Amino acid sequence: MTNPSNHGRIDTKSSWDGTLSWDEFCIAARAFMEQWNRFNADLPPFSWVPRPNPPWIPPSSQSEGYLSVDNVLIFGRTEETCKKGDDKEEEEEEEFSCCDNDNVVDPAMLAQTDEVSSHHYDFNIIYNVSYRVPVLYFRAYLSDGQVLGLDDIIKSIPSSTKRLLMESKWTFITQEDHPYLNRPWFTLHPCGTSEWLKMLFNSDPARAQGGLSVAQYLVAWFSVVGQLFDLKIPFEMMGYVDESGRQHKNTITDSS
Amino acid sequence: MDSEDPKVLIYFKATGDAPILKDSKIKASGSNRFVKVIDHLCRQLRRETLFVYINSAFSPNPDELVIDLYKNFGVGGKLVVNYASSMAWG
Repeated sequence: MTNPSNHGRIDTKSSWDGTLSWDEFCIAARAFMEQWNRFNADLPPFSWVPRPNPPWIPPSSQSEGYLSVDNVLIFGRTEETCKKGDDKEEEEEEEFSCCDNDNVVDPAMLAQTDEVSSHHYDFNIIYNVSYRVPVLYFRAYLSDGQVLGLDDIIKSIPSSTKRLLMESKWTFITQEDHPYLNRPWFTLHPCGTSEWLKMLFNSDPARAQGGLSVAQYLVAWFSVVGQLFDLKIPFEMMGYVDESGRQHKNTITDSS
Repeated sequence: MDSEDPKVLIYFKATGDAPILKDSKIKASGSNRFVKVIDHLCRQLRRETLFVYINSAFSPNPDELVIDLYKNFGVGGKLVVNYASSMAWG
């Protein structure tokens, strides 16, 4: 991985198009990995997987690589499985019926949940040089090693997120050759990534003025794509401390 | 105030070409999951999906509790929730 060659901030003023340079990706990836591994102790850690430079690349060039986390156990859930017993039903317009019977243990339902529960995922975060954005590659398999197809993966996606998947291009799942492993992996198509990241960051005038820590870029990106797999980012990562030691959490000024 | 289930003031802020709500401020029960806030927004705007995010920094997992989001990311006594039409740029 490369050393930070710039100040680790993205200038989000005016013409920023929502993309990231390779150098910025490297800085962001390292910061993301450190934060994830520190605050997400109950999940497997991310690691940086370097690709050895071929002989014709001089040693001074930055080595390529990507972020990888293996064997993330994701408990698939049936559409109506609702494990939240603490919801109050006070908003008249909400349909909360699925939470009514939280104390009722139905052995048949539990058995069904177990059946879909053990999905193992490998996730790789890879920089795409064409779109200049991070791209999520993933594969899934059962405990016995059987590889899951796209249909099985989509079935295990949370229903609220599945709607987004069906309707939005930015969560478009395709199968492509993994650029480093040269095997087919599933991937979220990057064609809309820079647009929604630009929109997300530029909607705050204070942020647009002050620029953006590259680490925040990857956190924001993963907060969206991770939802497909019900992966949560720890709150501590949202309040990322930048290189000057400034805590970003709760520092957005109230404009009203 | 009920300390068992505090209410959280949520302020909705439209981004891009998303329509502006008539009632941009609501009070939600802190024990609600964020998915209910998203569903409420979708119903109000008659959209199947919306891109929803907080503090121009991240998109919360729908499973998060509203009170947790408020405690960590609330500003000026309210939780500001940005929303955008996902179809416009998808």
